[in-house]
Amino acid sequence: MSPHENRPREDGLPQDPQDMKLMIHALVDGELDAAAALAVERRMAADPELAAEHARLVALRGAVASVPRATVSDDFLARIAAIAEVKDAGEAEPVQPIAATAEPQQQQGKVIAMQPRAARWFNSFDWRQMAASIALTAVLASGATQWLTTADNGSDSFAVAVANGHRRSLLAATPVDIVSSDRHTVKPWLDGRIGVSPAAPDMAKDGYALLGGRVEVIGDRPMPALVYRHHEHLITLVAAPRQNEAKSMPVADDLSAGGFLLVHWTDDAFSYWAISDAERPALDDFVARFRAAIIANPAAGSPG
Amino acid sequence: MAGAPDDGTVLSEKMLATRFAEVVLPHLGDALSLARWLTGNQADAEDVVQEACLKAHAGITGFAGGNPRAWLLTIVRNASYTWMARNRPRSVVAVGDLADLDDVSPPPDSDADSPEAALIAKANSAAVEAAIARLPQAFRETVVLRDINGLSYREIAAMLGVPQGTVMSRLARARGLLMTELGGRHEPA
Repeated sequence: MSPHENRPREDGLPQDPQDMKLMIHALVDGELDAAAALAVERRMAADPELAAEHARLVALRGAVASVPRATVSDDFLARIAAIAEVKDAGEAEPVQPIAATAEPQQQQGKVIAMQPRAARWFNSFDWRQMAASIALTAVLASGATQWLTTADNGSDSFAVAVANGHRRSLLAATPVDIVSSDRHTVKPWLDGRIGVSPAAPDMAKDGYALLGGRVEVIGDRPMPALVYRHHEHLITLVAAPRQNEAKSMPVADDLSAGGFLLVHWTDDAFSYWAISDAERPALDDFVARFRAAIIANPAAGSPG
Repeated sequence: MAGAPDDGTVLSEKMLATRFAEVVLPHLGDALSLARWLTGNQADAEDVVQEACLKAHAGITGFAGGNPRAWLLTIVRNASYTWMARNRPRSVVAVGDLADLDDVSPPPDSDADSPEAALIAKANSAAVEAAIARLPQAFRETVVLRDINGLSYREIAAMLGVPQGTVMSRLARARGLLMTELGGRHEPA
């Protein structure tokens, strides 16, 4: 699939009427951020068919909400609550049943404390990701998955993981953990965190400004990622330290995953994955300039 | 160990009971709703949820934070299918069939000028229940997880192990079928 086919309109919403309907569903489900919701509402105002779909969905939601919910009888609740207590009673030292009901207050704080981090991922679901996942479904459904056929399985799942990381970074408050255009700041930060850092040339004069770096965890390995900005696009460059079994790929390989374009190549120390929603030529140009910058100034790539 | 438990064991037993009380018990209503829609009736739903709660208690240490409702419902869903495979082998939809469902494009829209919205809004709850019950399994569980259990697209995708785009298209298909039925619209062919 060419990256041009699913190019969104100016408001960034899908062109295809069926995909647009999915956005109406997403609006009704409260899955859109304010900007996207506004854009969808604007489309609805201009398109009576979308407005009618929205009215039907709202009506349906009301109708479904009127369906009586399953009730938990006291008897059933007692049966389930007993699951935890029966096991306690089996212990030599009896535990008062009240422990099960009295302690939640204490524990509550811990549970809530865990939630903000999860909520960040769960609630800040935005339409770009949806659009990307629609595109991904289309790719999977059509069977035209070039990246499934051209690369081996290991790099497939790696590419998908890189794509997921990139997508998450677009959703997060900031795509970087350390904000700096200065490699003398980014490299030591990465070294301090995970003991490894790739060359981090600032290529602002070429149109690729270094925004900073973050740590990606792929598989079970933390690895450094650099973030560059090119016009309105972000480019994430994941640098996986080379392992013995990793196959050498001195020539850049073009891939795509999760609706993003990727370029993969290796040098002596790292296996690089560049990913972006920028156009292919821009991404290729970035890769070429990055590789040239490392060769021109290897000091930037020395450890520490 | 057969001997008297040391302090650590007692503590962890207590902690398990506490976690169970705060992670599982508040969401029994949702668990029963989901099980009822998947198995088709309340009595079976209680059996399934009880089984699921036993599993949840055994695996409570595996709950790593996040949404406890989604965590419990994942177990309930698995327990429902296990239960149905055992008790009603014929009714279980093989997972392989789901791909076909996802390929079906949404029904074409007839006229958009609709008093349908009004008809849908007036549908009584028995009619809504019957319409949901008639949905194909994959559509029914998606719409129940979203509209009755209130999970987000992301949580549903994680639970079903499918991309979010698939969740969205199943949801749209399920709702399209419900709207067709409740709105008195006849799907062409």
